[in-house]
Amino acid sequence: MANRPDIHLYTTQTPNGIKISITLEELGLPYKVTKIDISKNTQKEPWFLEINPNGRIPALTDTFSDGKTIRLFESGSIQQYLVDQYDKDYKISYPKGTREYYETNNWLFFLNAGVGPMQGQANHFSRYAPERIEYGVNRYVNETRRLYGVLNTHLEKSTSGYLVGDKCTIADIAHWGWVTAAFWAGVDIEEFPALKAWDDRMLARPGVEKGRHVPDPHRMKELSKDPAAIKEHAEKSRAWVQQGMAADAKK
Amino acid sequence: MSKPIIVYGHDTGPNPWKVAIVLEELNIPYDYKIVDMADMKKPPFEAINPNGRVPAITDPNTGITLWESGAIIEYLIDTYDKESVLTFSHFPEKYHVKQWLFFQVSGQGPYFGQAVWFQKFHEPVVPSAQERYTDHLKRVLGVLDKYLDGKEYLVGNKCTIADLSFVTWDMMVPWILEGDTDASQLEKHYPNWAAWHQRLMQRPAVLKIAQDKQNAV
Repeated sequence: MANRPDIHLYTTQTPNGIKISITLEELGLPYKVTKIDISKNTQKEPWFLEINPNGRIPALTDTFSDGKTIRLFESGSIQQYLVDQYDKDYKISYPKGTREYYETNNWLFFLNAGVGPMQGQANHFSRYAPERIEYGVNRYVNETRRLYGVLNTHLEKSTSGYLVGDKCTIADIAHWGWVTAAFWAGVDIEEFPALKAWDDRMLARPGVEKGRHVPDPHRMKELSKDPAAIKEHAEKSRAWVQQGMAADAKK
Repeated sequence: MSKPIIVYGHDTGPNPWKVAIVLEELNIPYDYKIVDMADMKKPPFEAINPNGRVPAITDPNTGITLWESGAIIEYLIDTYDKESVLTFSHFPEKYHVKQWLFFQVSGQGPYFGQAVWFQKFHEPVVPSAQERYTDHLKRVLGVLDKYLDGKEYLVGNKCTIADLSFVTWDMMVPWILEGDTDASQLEKHYPNWAAWHQRLMQRPAVLKIAQDKQNAV
């Protein structure tokens, strides 16, 4: 039997990065962390592209049951891998084949294909774009608000306070880093009371508290109350986002 | 399994047809119901998918209702692909299939969709937004092209849901890039991607759905 888990997480302080560290903390798994510095384009270096040909974080390696290394990318598939392999007591997942298992998948894909990409575009047009395009800002902020509305309506009906069944699952964890950074995309969480209560509920979990500070301190809560810090953070981010776009366009 | 699965779809949108391809490949009986755009974001359809989007399915054989194309495809494979025709049951390929499926739903679909919007529908034209999304589209083609060098399929040596999930959006690439210098040179710039796409397009299930889609429009 191979010596496992032997998990190595490659990550950055972003919503997609912390969903993996939170998942690992919730499962109580040991893991090593390598911080990927996106401002230095580390994610485009050949050694990293060997792990993720898409050049994005998060990525993860582990010793597989056959004793060889497995390389994984895409946050949703990494979360599925972790619970499949290590959540034998179903702490944050449900047994395969149950209704709740597939409903968890609904919301997981909803985040990965919907909330994440759309809120990411809202961030782009609100914070990083080289020119202010009103239409672009409105399109993506409104779509993010629509998606938040779907979540809010769903949570209003939830008896457990979580997205699926009677407990917090990988679907909740996937959403949290994005929802708690709503203000950054120009969305006011106060509009969505059930979602706001869920955000607080998630934050109160020890696994979320521990996992959110990987690899650097998570500052979204403090940032949301400090306009000067928001401005500084936006300017810094804008510089490397535009640098990255220029580099990609040249290929 | 006896009763057909109901697929709620749309005529032009690529995501419901993606689900139909998997159903065809697995020879699962289904009824493809076209939902009018105007009916998606109100009851009764909202009771099926609270997100008001297609695809969604109801499977009378198991009683489940599901939405999000990726989640639907994983359900179909788990429930009806017992021989792992379109996936792998062993490691590490099983997880690599999921990895590429998530890349498709989060990395290809949403960005190709934005490219369609800014290239084809939005007025007035916003050149910087068009460029942002066509650049992104090309970046995705580049990632696939590079990875497919020397390979016939994304995972292992057979066609899986990882490959098939890309095909309905990829079919639209020449149309999305219409007028762009890259549009007529896809085979030259992305030879591995183009050969792979053609390989997938020759599959009977894909051909049938491409035809059904054309007929529906």
